[in-house]
Amino acid sequence: MMKNKWVKIGLVAIMAGLSLGAGMAEAAGILTIGRRGVSTTFDPIKTAQNVDFWVFSNVYDVLVRVDKSGKVLEPGLAESWTVSEDGLTYTFKLREAKFSDGSPITAEDAAFSLQRIRDDEGSVWSETYKVIDTASQGDDPRTLVVKLKTLSAPFLASLAMPGASILSKKGVESMGADAYAENPIASGAFMLKEWRRGDRVILEKNPNFWEAGRVKLDGVEWISIPDDNTRMLNVQAGQLDAAISVPFSRVAELKKDPELVVTQNTSTREDHLLINHEHGALAKKEVREALDMAIDKQAIVDTVTFGLGEVADSYIPKGALYHDANALHRAYDPEKAKQMLADAGASGLTLNYVVNAGNEVDEQIAVLLQQQLAKAGVTANLQKVDPSQSWDMLIAGDYDLSVMYWTYDVIDPDQKTTFVLGHDSNMNYMTRYKNDHVKDLVAKARTEMDPAKREAMYMEIQKTAKDDVHWIDLYYSPFISVTRKNVENFYQNPLGRFFLEDTIKN
Amino acid sequence: MIGATILLVFVLAALLAPYISPYDPVTQNTDLRLQGPSWAHLFGTDNFGRDVFSRVIWGLRVDLQIAILGVVFPFIIGTLVGTVAGFFGGLVDAILMRLIDVILAFPFLVLVLSIIAILGPGLTSFYIAMALVGWVSYARLIRAQVLVLKNSDYAVAAVSLGFSRARIMFRHLLPNAVAGSVVFSMSDAVIVLLNGAAISYLGLGVQPPIAEWGIMVAEGQPFITTAWWITLFPGLSIVVLAFGFSLFGDALGDVLGVKE
Repeated sequence: MMKNKWVKIGLVAIMAGLSLGAGMAEAAGILTIGRRGVSTTFDPIKTAQNVDFWVFSNVYDVLVRVDKSGKVLEPGLAESWTVSEDGLTYTFKLREAKFSDGSPITAEDAAFSLQRIRDDEGSVWSETYKVIDTASQGDDPRTLVVKLKTLSAPFLASLAMPGASILSKKGVESMGADAYAENPIASGAFMLKEWRRGDRVILEKNPNFWEAGRVKLDGVEWISIPDDNTRMLNVQAGQLDAAISVPFSRVAELKKDPELVVTQNTSTREDHLLINHEHGALAKKEVREALDMAIDKQAIVDTVTFGLGEVADSYIPKGALYHDANALHRAYDPEKAKQMLADAGASGLTLNYVVNAGNEVDEQIAVLLQQQLAKAGVTANLQKVDPSQSWDMLIAGDYDLSVMYWTYDVIDPDQKTTFVLGHDSNMNYMTRYKNDHVKDLVAKARTEMDPAKREAMYMEIQKTAKDDVHWIDLYYSPFISVTRKNVENFYQNPLGRFFLEDTIKN
Repeated sequence: MIGATILLVFVLAALLAPYISPYDPVTQNTDLRLQGPSWAHLFGTDNFGRDVFSRVIWGLRVDLQIAILGVVFPFIIGTLVGTVAGFFGGLVDAILMRLIDVILAFPFLVLVLSIIAILGPGLTSFYIAMALVGWVSYARLIRAQVLVLKNSDYAVAAVSLGFSRARIMFRHLLPNAVAGSVVFSMSDAVIVLLNGAAISYLGLGVQPPIAEWGIMVAEGQPFITTAWWITLFPGLSIVVLAFGFSLFGDALGDVLGVKE
């Protein structure tokens, strides 16, 4: 009986919570957005997760921004910049802007933020910013001078990454980094009003934002609702204004609802099948080629993404800079794959396929691939594990196959390429793929300033890696969100940045 | 009667699965995805175009096996331990009973899940975990019965006749003590069945593509608002089978004269 009583109290509490949420949603100008994950920090250098980055873009501004198309850099806090003859010195002219506490944003703050992401022990991005030699104030407080150690083609693009957000130097130093991460001083369109850990992030309009006139919303609430069905139902019932990460399986049904608008935005997301090159027969190129041929990517697109995705043939997403439109596509041919495996002495191959338990897309791909591989005589033993555990297994090399995805954080291909093919510290994204020629090209392309030559290098990198089957490209998919029809301009660029400064709630 | 009928039908269906299921349970046919119930596909098809009716029937085999094996091992271990503890009493009893207290101190599912996590996912791990954790209830039941029965006239008579302890325990006491456990095992089967389904639902039990009801419910969940049949039919099957075990257990209790 006691138990029942507590269950009832719990239910009442949940109902009260829901109706409170409904009340909130009706407040004028407050946009409530449902998402799967929870924010982990407001210190931009300490996370690499989309779920954090996408909120940082609301709260912090960067020197250089990526535009809505996701292809062009545009001025952010830096209104203009010049590059020296030798390409090593960048001089930024900062615009007149203020932090949310009213203090001016100066070159000192910008220099501090760049030094911090490069040097701070807690920074997960320091590798990317090691190319910065010095960052300091120039002739006046609104001139920032950055000197590089070497030429760097992706440098400007890397300034647009949310990790390189501009923080208040005085704020971080007086409060301490940990307190700042709980109570950030904002440089972006919104400022943090309240952060209920594990539940929601409540933002309100930043009146001191330099583009405050552009912002129509009074505030934004990012609410975590991990269950996809519940999140969609909340939007359908009007308890939320918007929800992101709409499951592919729900798109057709939601589109029929006249109260809702389903938005598909081009993304840089690519899903791929990791192969552990160090495990037995997988070290042989012929075996990997056979696996590529044994997988029917179109069937994945049709079945798992409900036709909303597109077959991928290169690790550089379609529409992104230097994407190889003529990449090799190995046609689906299980019979030939079987023959190739036999020729390579790998008949009856048995592989350990690590699956993220609870990830519906991952699980569906696994069931589909298992049957496809069986047709080529390959036995895939599915091993469902918790996502936190699967990541450790991939790093330890304790797998043969596993599906992962990547979304760009920077518009330049260098970031992903370095992680995936540059012999980085993560063993080429856990694949243990090794090709010194590719590695050298990746390093050379980073310092090549001539776009035409750089493009040629990236074409060669893509062709060689594809030829080696460094992993198996599966599909590209869009970002899908759903909004109530009174919401306008709810939009994400291909890197995932939401332009909430333009969003209107009628 | 109803319970027995349900169980009989289910056991027959499980045995005859290869003959009565209209389609192969694991073959995917992506042209026939997410089709609602029809004469061709009684329970519809799932997101891979697999026939849900066939999967429910084949899943029955696995789930019946879970309910039976998940009860048999704990039953045997628990009965032995309970008899020994009850008969000898004293130090042996104290040690075994404290061991049971320790196991009972942990929430049942948490303990089972951690054992499976150590052994790795799969049904074998599930059976081992059930055997390691589930025996305590049987041991306590049997011990209580043996404690009463060992002072009964026929037991005292057996002792005075100089019968060996083993003979007294297993020939005289056990047959009289076990009825309560048998009835309990029927309701335990319900719990084991639900746990097995829960563990497969969590991805730690049966591994795909094998059909099992818990995993089917899990796989159908993303589609619950658009294709309810993927989830409903395996879910309903769990309920009906559990109901069957429960009714059968009640009837058995009446026949054996066991009071709940």
